[in-house]
Amino acid sequence: MKIDPELCIVCEVCLPYCPMEAISVKDDMAVIDDDECVDCNVCLKSGCCPVDAFVFEEAPWPRSVRNVFSDPRKEHKGTKVAGRGTEEMKTNDVTGRFQRGWVGMGCEFGRPGIGTYFRDVDKVAQVLAKHGVEFEPKNPVTILMDDPKTGKINKDVLNEKVLSAIIECLYPIEKLEEIMNALKEVSKEIDTVFSCEVINRADPDGSYPLRKKLDAMGIPYYINGKQNVGLGRPVADV
Amino acid sequence: MLCLTAIGFNDENHDPKLAEFLRIALRHDPVNIGAISHGNMYSSSKEEVVDNAHGIVHAVFVKQDQVIDTLKDLEKAGLGMSVVVSGIFEKVDECLDKAGLKHHTANFSLGIWGKTEKLPGNDILEIHTMCGHAMISANLIKSMADEVKTGRKTADDAAKVLAPQCACGIFNPDRAAKLLTAMAKK
Repeated sequence: MKIDPELCIVCEVCLPYCPMEAISVKDDMAVIDDDECVDCNVCLKSGCCPVDAFVFEEAPWPRSVRNVFSDPRKEHKGTKVAGRGTEEMKTNDVTGRFQRGWVGMGCEFGRPGIGTYFRDVDKVAQVLAKHGVEFEPKNPVTILMDDPKTGKINKDVLNEKVLSAIIECLYPIEKLEEIMNALKEVSKEIDTVFSCEVINRADPDGSYPLRKKLDAMGIPYYINGKQNVGLGRPVADV
Repeated sequence: MLCLTAIGFNDENHDPKLAEFLRIALRHDPVNIGAISHGNMYSSSKEEVVDNAHGIVHAVFVKQDQVIDTLKDLEKAGLGMSVVVSGIFEKVDECLDKAGLKHHTANFSLGIWGKTEKLPGNDILEIHTMCGHAMISANLIKSMADEVKTGRKTADDAAKVLAPQCACGIFNPDRAAKLLTAMAKK
């Protein structure tokens, strides 16, 4: 994102809109810190600028990843889904992606409100790979991996910053404790935050085996969350 | 409440079904509706959101009865699109029970990990995290709380400045106004 210096009147209205605090006033000019800016387009799309001074131009690779991972209105070519992840559990009633006995996991880096460099995503992905998780092949972060067996992310993008990026993976429920312990350790080595979420198909009696397991392990989870209510068709055998 | 197509499974001619989801939701007075490809009812109009439904659409309710009635209507309509309800598990399950539905799959949040000392305060986070895509900056929330505190804006008006930033329309302006009021009192 750029600010056209010929148009900008330095009114400072845009400053609080930037989720990355990348806009500032220097030498009586509003400027954008290129390294901090994640090309999310919030400033532009908010319509806050009274003189339309924001200018967005598609960046070349590897900076181009900033916009596709940071502006949820942008559809990923690989997933055909707008936003950073996939449909994950939202369509499990139709896709059957998350079968009984398995845990789906999402680690959403940079959220809430901090942003992330891919080098931090890479650290965690490599640890998860060592523990044998299956990365979701249609997820945009998986698409950036050199090899999903190692979790190693393309070195070109490691120093690119995005508003958020989600690792999505799957593993048998028996591995929950091992994965949680590994995640806890590697989370000490990163310079950002991630929101961690786990997905489970309900048993026929309506209970969630994952919930019981989390309770037994003493791992807290929020009282609120998302539930697919099974209205999708055709019904998956899951 | 979210409604979406499963790509590769039921994504042919799905936009009219997503529009119908929004029409059904509108019968039950949501505080927000949105379509990620277009925007929400605060950045656009309700009619425009419905007309531009595509991919994934959202409706936000503040009462359980609204959720129950919407779910009943959705089941009758038989759109065949996946529907997800986000809220307190216990309350959502009560709604499903009364609507004659059962939960299928859940997503449990295990909270925020990593360098959590970088996070803004909880009062900011409560509003910020309503927009899952993190489009509403912490500084804009602080700025709106200040506007309310100094009497330059009502809490409702301040929430309406925040609402359009959430591209998909899952932001709850009613709740945001209550939280901004609480922040302004500090």
